[in-house]
Amino acid sequence: MQEPRSDMTPTSVVRPDESHDPPPAFEEAYLRFAPLLRKIAMKKFGIPAVDAEPLVHDVFTTYFTKAEDVEQPERYLIGGICNASRQHLRRGAATSELFCGEEPCAATPTDAIVLEVERKILIGRLFTRIGSRCRDLLHRYYINGETTDAIAGELGFRTTTVLMFLSRCRKRALSAYHAMTGVRQ
Amino acid sequence: MSHIGEVDLATYALTPGALSPAGRAEIAAHLAECAACQATHDFFAVSEDVLDAELRDEMTWEPLIGSETHRVLMECGAHVAREDREAEELLKPYLENPISAAWQMLVTRRRFRTGGVVRRLIRAAHGICDSDPLAALTFAENAIAIAEVLDPDRYSPAAADQLRGTAWKELAFAQMRLGRFPQALASLDRAERYHRRYRPNGANLSIVALLRGGVLYEQGHLDEAMAWAERAEHGFAHAGENRRRMDALFLRGAILFEAGRAAEAVLLFRQTIEYGEEAQNVRIIGRGSYATADCQLALENFNEASAHYHRALVIFREVGPEPDRLTTEWGIARLVLRVGKYDEAIARLRDVSARFERLQMVTDAALVGLDIVEALLALNKPRRIVAIARHLSSVFTDAGMLTGALAAIAYLKEAAVSGELSIEDLGKIRSFLRRAERQPNLEFVRPARPPADSV
Repeated sequence: MQEPRSDMTPTSVVRPDESHDPPPAFEEAYLRFAPLLRKIAMKKFGIPAVDAEPLVHDVFTTYFTKAEDVEQPERYLIGGICNASRQHLRRGAATSELFCGEEPCAATPTDAIVLEVERKILIGRLFTRIGSRCRDLLHRYYINGETTDAIAGELGFRTTTVLMFLSRCRKRALSAYHAMTGVRQ
Repeated sequence: MSHIGEVDLATYALTPGALSPAGRAEIAAHLAECAACQATHDFFAVSEDVLDAELRDEMTWEPLIGSETHRVLMECGAHVAREDREAEELLKPYLENPISAAWQMLVTRRRFRTGGVVRRLIRAAHGICDSDPLAALTFAENAIAIAEVLDPDRYSPAAADQLRGTAWKELAFAQMRLGRFPQALASLDRAERYHRRYRPNGANLSIVALLRGGVLYEQGHLDEAMAWAERAEHGFAHAGENRRRMDALFLRGAILFEAGRAAEAVLLFRQTIEYGEEAQNVRIIGRGSYATADCQLALENFNEASAHYHRALVIFREVGPEPDRLTTEWGIARLVLRVGKYDEAIARLRDVSARFERLQMVTDAALVGLDIVEALLALNKPRRIVAIARHLSSVFTDAGMLTGALAAIAYLKEAAVSGELSIEDLGKIRSFLRRAERQPNLEFVRPARPPADSV
């Protein structure tokens, strides 16, 4: 009987280019799948956000060194985060840790997770449409946690003016969101 | 009608408590009558809940402003790309002339001690493992030597362990191809130890499991081989590596076939054909068809066997490689032999054997010769068997294969001359030649003859 080929012939790991940037495919894969992997680690395996981040990092570093060898990046990455999460939680015996052993795989994202991640990615994309001043203001308020009073003090505005701007920016973001999704207000 | 100022409307909508009760009442009354002010008020009062959660989630902002993980990973990606580019240049002369790599001890040169060089050597080894396993061994050994001394300031333990594990796996692959099975298993142990040190390692451990299954299959430890092949298949399915999963499935089929369970094997090979059809991968279809045909032949389903051999033959004629095409023609000749068309079978087998010899595939040529002998036994033509045995002996001698295989052919000749050659003997010689190809040091043990007085 013909010999089974034990491993596939790999092609080059990355396409060489002259720049010092990562291959565009790496960043594309990261931006597309990293949010999903984080959600899977957190929601399917109950891993805190602070611990999920290094797992996502590890999954992508192994992926980068064999990216062109990978047939289905999404499946590979989800399998990877499942494997990494299970190792993180140290479930089961050493051997059974290797593979999920569950069908469907424990890491298979639910529709709710997928929708949530897609929505976040979409909203992230719409920030490019709302102007830099709005972006900065929303980021300071929502992510940096600065109060309207603090922002107003720094910018020399009244607090009410900052509130008004925040409202305008939210509204602009919402309009852009509706335009992108085709949903009417 | 006068209108209420925008700031007051915003305050009313967003922080109504900041206004006096009288002020609130005044605005409320105005809004009830003024559509323009109502619209402005509505603008400010738009539900804050709609995007609230997303706006507070750093993940939403990451594509725009990045994150530490994003920054570190992109640096890592750029580093990998740069190293691979440099390795391609550095290794060019050695990849073109593998023997020079063996002499040069690449690890002694500092600029060769990079992950990119390790990856390129591993890839080179893998690419030539079937055609030139000794060169593959050289590349893999160099990859290991470099991977073992990677600068810990430049490579994280996980990155270094992944490279080391993969390099040892590649060495095991070359050792398997050279028939050095115990060494291959030892190398796989090393590979597994390294791969277990980092996460996520499921995909790489699955590859190690598949190779381990392959080595154990070659050694004839079919139960153990099956357990590893199943584990590998599971791992590949988990990682969405369907093509590799088919390799594991194929190995499971081959193990079942070897164990005489052709009916079960055929079900697995059917799956590989279905995958090949779905993925439009004709090589996989050809390979699966050939293996299915072998099973059907063993099951004496001659029509099914014929259909599958011919499907495989059409594919291998189209896409090659030549050895696969010849192997399929050999299968068809065996089919002709099984249905009792001895003269036609001998003609086909002679043609296949001659072409194997031209390709220097002497073991395959000898195995085809044994099929011719089987036909001649059925036709009761012992003198022609002796002539074939002489020819095979000279083929092995000319090829410098002065191994147990030569002893097996010598036995074939003697048994034919004495008229004692049986189908069982042929089976034993056939089995020995297959193993001796991968294990040149294997000694041929002559089949025991029943004492003369017991006959």
